[in-house]
Amino acid sequence: MKGIFSVLVENKDGVLSQIAGLFARRGYNIDSLAVGETDHRDVSSMTIVSTGDQRTIDQIEKHLNKKLDVIKVRRLEESTSVALEMMLIKVSYLATTRSSLIELCNIYGAKIMGVTPKSMVIEVHASPDEISNFIELVRPFGILEVQRTGAIAMSKT
Amino acid sequence: MNGAQAMVKCLEAEGIRTIFGIPGVAIAPFYDALYSSSIQHVLVRQEQAAGHAASGYARISRKPAVCVTSSGPGATNLITALATAYADSIPLIAITGQVSSELLGRDVFQEADMRGATESFVKYSYLVKNADDIPRIFREAFYIASTGRTGPVLIDIPCDVQKKELSGAFVYPQTVNIRGYKPKVSGNNPQMAKVVAAINRSKKPLICAGGGVILGSGEELVRRFCEKNQIPLVNTMMGIGVMPKNHPLYFGMLGNNGKPYANRAVAGSDLLIIVGARVADRAVPKPSALEDQVSIIHIDIDSAEIGKNLGPTIPLVGDVKNIFSALLEADIHINTDSWIEQLREIKAGTVDHRVFSDRLVNPMLFVQALSEKMDDDAIYVADVGQNQLWSADNYIMKNGRFLTTGGMGTMGYSIPAAIGARLASGKQVVAVCGDGAFQMSMFELATIADLQIPLKIIVVKNRYLGLVREHQEKVYDRRYSGVELHDYPKHSKLAEAYDMHYYEMNSNEDLNGTLDEFLADPKASLMVCSVDSANNTI
Repeated sequence: MKGIFSVLVENKDGVLSQIAGLFARRGYNIDSLAVGETDHRDVSSMTIVSTGDQRTIDQIEKHLNKKLDVIKVRRLEESTSVALEMMLIKVSYLATTRSSLIELCNIYGAKIMGVTPKSMVIEVHASPDEISNFIELVRPFGILEVQRTGAIAMSKT
Repeated sequence: MNGAQAMVKCLEAEGIRTIFGIPGVAIAPFYDALYSSSIQHVLVRQEQAAGHAASGYARISRKPAVCVTSSGPGATNLITALATAYADSIPLIAITGQVSSELLGRDVFQEADMRGATESFVKYSYLVKNADDIPRIFREAFYIASTGRTGPVLIDIPCDVQKKELSGAFVYPQTVNIRGYKPKVSGNNPQMAKVVAAINRSKKPLICAGGGVILGSGEELVRRFCEKNQIPLVNTMMGIGVMPKNHPLYFGMLGNNGKPYANRAVAGSDLLIIVGARVADRAVPKPSALEDQVSIIHIDIDSAEIGKNLGPTIPLVGDVKNIFSALLEADIHINTDSWIEQLREIKAGTVDHRVFSDRLVNPMLFVQALSEKMDDDAIYVADVGQNQLWSADNYIMKNGRFLTTGGMGTMGYSIPAAIGARLASGKQVVAVCGDGAFQMSMFELATIADLQIPLKIIVVKNRYLGLVREHQEKVYDRRYSGVELHDYPKHSKLAEAYDMHYYEMNSNEDLNGTLDEFLADPKASLMVCSVDSANNTI
């Protein structure tokens, strides 16, 4: 199963490495990790997406809570939260395939950020699943480079 | 007042009377401030021993104890002791000197990233950047070490911060406010009700007490709870001492190296109440099999321990004292007479099939005789190896303490820990180690001589790294690889070198007479108890 954790932490040096170290040491997966300051400068917010069985996801929550620099851990359900990710993807094209690539971008609301005669850089904002779908759709064109930010998430309530 | 003086003031404010350490340039300002303080500094001979000695001190005083080292190698030498304390949840404050702030990260002489290096072995760590933060950081460190699930806290402090003047007057904070740390102490009421209901439903309840019961000073309450409701008890190695050995409700240590009847009690129970135990592999080799057989209540101060190795039927997070005070008041009516009768029959019918060599001293008889003859409230410190397992198996618990490192299994723990235990208690303290572990801490005989404390050290000598040899005998077809210690050192000469009295036991006859003389000797004494290397633990 998937575990999405929204974690508020002290905005101090060493905290990110503590959290990353916790996952590494105990053999938990990190599917994605996104960090940034909140509206309080001394508090950072992390969105961590992990996969594992129920017991593993429960243990991750407990071990996150055990860290003294972790202020609050919220476990988000996919159905009651909003998740968003950004991706930059460089895709190659031919004169014959260019218009169908642009069409795909339009369907996904993706922006074309840079164009060369052989490739374009596309910016996508969407849920992590939609981003993964988009990658599969453009794969036949030829993917040159992918950069994903990792998901950020928030509960709807 | 400078930072170093503030550090000493903080220790005084925490009531610290003894600290263990080795100085160096990076911690020299602190040692200079210490010179004017009444705090006793015990100069150990290697930094790891400072950590183990503080561990022994903390376990007896039941408060955080302090060890101090310099930067770089002095600090890294401490890491094994921190890992040992962390595995056994022992509250320590480790103060390490660090190179000057402006040199941090430049790989200068004796710089080691201690926060990074100890990340997985401490409950929390600080790198002090501002002398004005010293009072708050020390107050927080003692609070963190001694509350919730106790454990070691590191304070790494650069040399220039120690020398810097505080900008205002020294004020030691009364309160602590860490927004990410609010340890839960009392059990949640609906969970308590479930626990009581489960106990009332059970016909064969059994308590399994771990080291957490002792760390939380809950021994007496747990004992009273067992007596009031006639619930039998087994313990893990770290839980030795929750009940005296002769108690009618006591059924021994469980696990691979425990009593067969304790394991049969676990398997035969219908409700296992685990208190302050990690349910690690040595105690419960197959947790999943246990889950299928019995209902489990898991009580622990650390919610992350619950469900880590074993899925409990009822989890209960809280402090052992609070929970058992509440359980003592709870409405519990069960009749366990036939269950206890059954356990007594199993215990009486258990035959020990182990065969011990006729040569030299029988290690089981030795531990039994020693613990019988020791003072009622004496402290027995067992090292690691065959000696530890013989000790845990045969120790006759009266009203003393049994200290050992159950989690990390660090060889060389017993001698420095015994020094700490003695300084914290003034009681009779006996360290029992094998000839391998002895050589990992034998330099601490000098510390004992310095302190002029009448410690009793017993080397159970079989000229091998015995437990590894035993493993090689069983698993590797007697290919004894790298385990032979031969006849060195000559312990009698070592005893002489360190002004200790020397004793030897070479046969079971010496269990009377020699052992009595050794224990009655008012001076620090070293005894070699020779055992046959053919003796095994299982």
